[in-house]
Amino acid sequence: MTLDAVRRGVPGAVAATALRRRAQGAHHLDEWGLDPELVALTDSVFSLRWGIEVTGAEHLPTVGGAVLVCNRRVGISEPWVLARGVRQATGRFVRTVGVPDVAPVGPLLRRFGGVLDRTDEIAGLLRAGQLVGLPMARGLRTREQVGRLDAARLEAAVATGCPVVPVALVGREAGRSWRVAIGAPASPSVDGGPLAAAELADTTRHAVQALLDDALPPSWWP
Amino acid sequence: MRALITGMGGELGTRVANLLEADDTWDQVVGIDGYPPRRRTTRASFHRIDPRDRRKAVHLVRDLDPEVVFHLGVYEPNARFEPTEARLGSAASAVSVLGAATACPSLRAIVVRSGIEVYGRRRGAPTRPDESAAVDPTTPFGRSMVHVEQVAGEAGRVAGVPVASLRFGPIVGPSFPSPLGRYLRLPVVAVAPHAELPFCLTHQEDAARALVAAGAAQVDGPLNVVGPGAVTASQAVRRGGRVPLPVAGPGWWLARAAAELLGAPLPPHTRELLIRGGVADGAAARALLDVEPRSTDDVITQLYEWGTVARVTPAGRGASA
Repeated sequence: MTLDAVRRGVPGAVAATALRRRAQGAHHLDEWGLDPELVALTDSVFSLRWGIEVTGAEHLPTVGGAVLVCNRRVGISEPWVLARGVRQATGRFVRTVGVPDVAPVGPLLRRFGGVLDRTDEIAGLLRAGQLVGLPMARGLRTREQVGRLDAARLEAAVATGCPVVPVALVGREAGRSWRVAIGAPASPSVDGGPLAAAELADTTRHAVQALLDDALPPSWWP
Repeated sequence: MRALITGMGGELGTRVANLLEADDTWDQVVGIDGYPPRRRTTRASFHRIDPRDRRKAVHLVRDLDPEVVFHLGVYEPNARFEPTEARLGSAASAVSVLGAATACPSLRAIVVRSGIEVYGRRRGAPTRPDESAAVDPTTPFGRSMVHVEQVAGEAGRVAGVPVASLRFGPIVGPSFPSPLGRYLRLPVVAVAPHAELPFCLTHQEDAARALVAAGAAQVDGPLNVVGPGAVTASQAVRRGGRVPLPVAGPGWWLARAAAELLGAPLPPHTRELLIRGGVADGAAARALLDVEPRSTDDVITQLYEWGTVARVTPAGRGASA
């Protein structure tokens, strides 16, 4: 397959070219291990698993770093839904926090945008202008209440002055259909100080809860 | 200004000497090492002193009374010396030269060659540390460089001068003796595709320029000097047209033995780099030193351009000289 075949729209030409580039080692990998070409190659497979509707994408910055705080219930689908939803709405990659540093799971998840759950890791990503997905604590009992948000996890946003964007994820682990509702960003206090992260965490948690309340379909069964 | 270069016999030390020679602000350039320089020098004078010969080194440093010390006598295991010799040479050179420099009244700055191996790659360690990250080496070479940084820091405090520790990504280049470069150039290279993380590289020329810039700017504190971008071992091997051989667990023991037989021993810091990766945030160095290291992609490309290096024939050698 040549570039000419790609231009002429020959079926499978793009994938064949990408595979050839990978065989030659010519594909790009960023410093945290994200492999954009692999994400693009597997996108059609993931589209079979998750159908995602995104609202409020205009709240996401087009350039520069931001922390996307999202709710999760079981926490298997949510990181993928958030990353894929934001990518299909804005074209930007989301680096989801919480990858284990154990092979082969860790290196594999890093290829899809996973990063370690460390304040200095998040701060480095924000300084590099990346979007960082930060899941809240699991809320296994009900999907109507968001989990806890530890203030220490927002210290990187406070330190770098990057906005924190609340995101509500609505869907069921066993289902295909998911909604991603993105709210207005909250900026950390310019003064910093010990209370800044705690207040930012409270504000963000309430914002995610409000988005979730609006996004959940009315139901008589919890 | 008067400059003293330790480790001038190495590729990096010789290149730093060449760059200082080309700059008129450095009116005297003196180098020491256990082996002669690898390139021709014009103004610089060289003294062949074994790194472990403390008496000779101390005499020379005190007689010269340098204004800036470029301490490049930090020897990578299996680059030019076997691991024990490299470790002992690095430690002895740091103690004797930097210790003697503290008694020099003209001393204004110390510049030290270090590496991002000082951060270590323990499980859960930050992927891309900046200079504020804790130093936690996990290999003998990393520990050796931490020791050199500590000695330099102590010398700087005693003398009251700034100490710049330049933490380079693994330095490679077409003519740079490095275990990583030799290993990646083997025809068949053992890799761990299921576990590997990306690493960055620094080109030998960028490293030399950064050292000279740090000496001129008299920067204080550690600085990461790394190029943008990263590659995995499998990627690098495929780019070089070599055959990647996936191995896991005990397979590495065989791979290490085979590589050593083929003349490319695999020291622990290189093996760690190939599997656990190694990148760092080099933004501070780019801003302070005004040096833009070339990307890791470019360094890899040049690493494999070894085969295109012009061979000088005996007849042409006289003409070029």
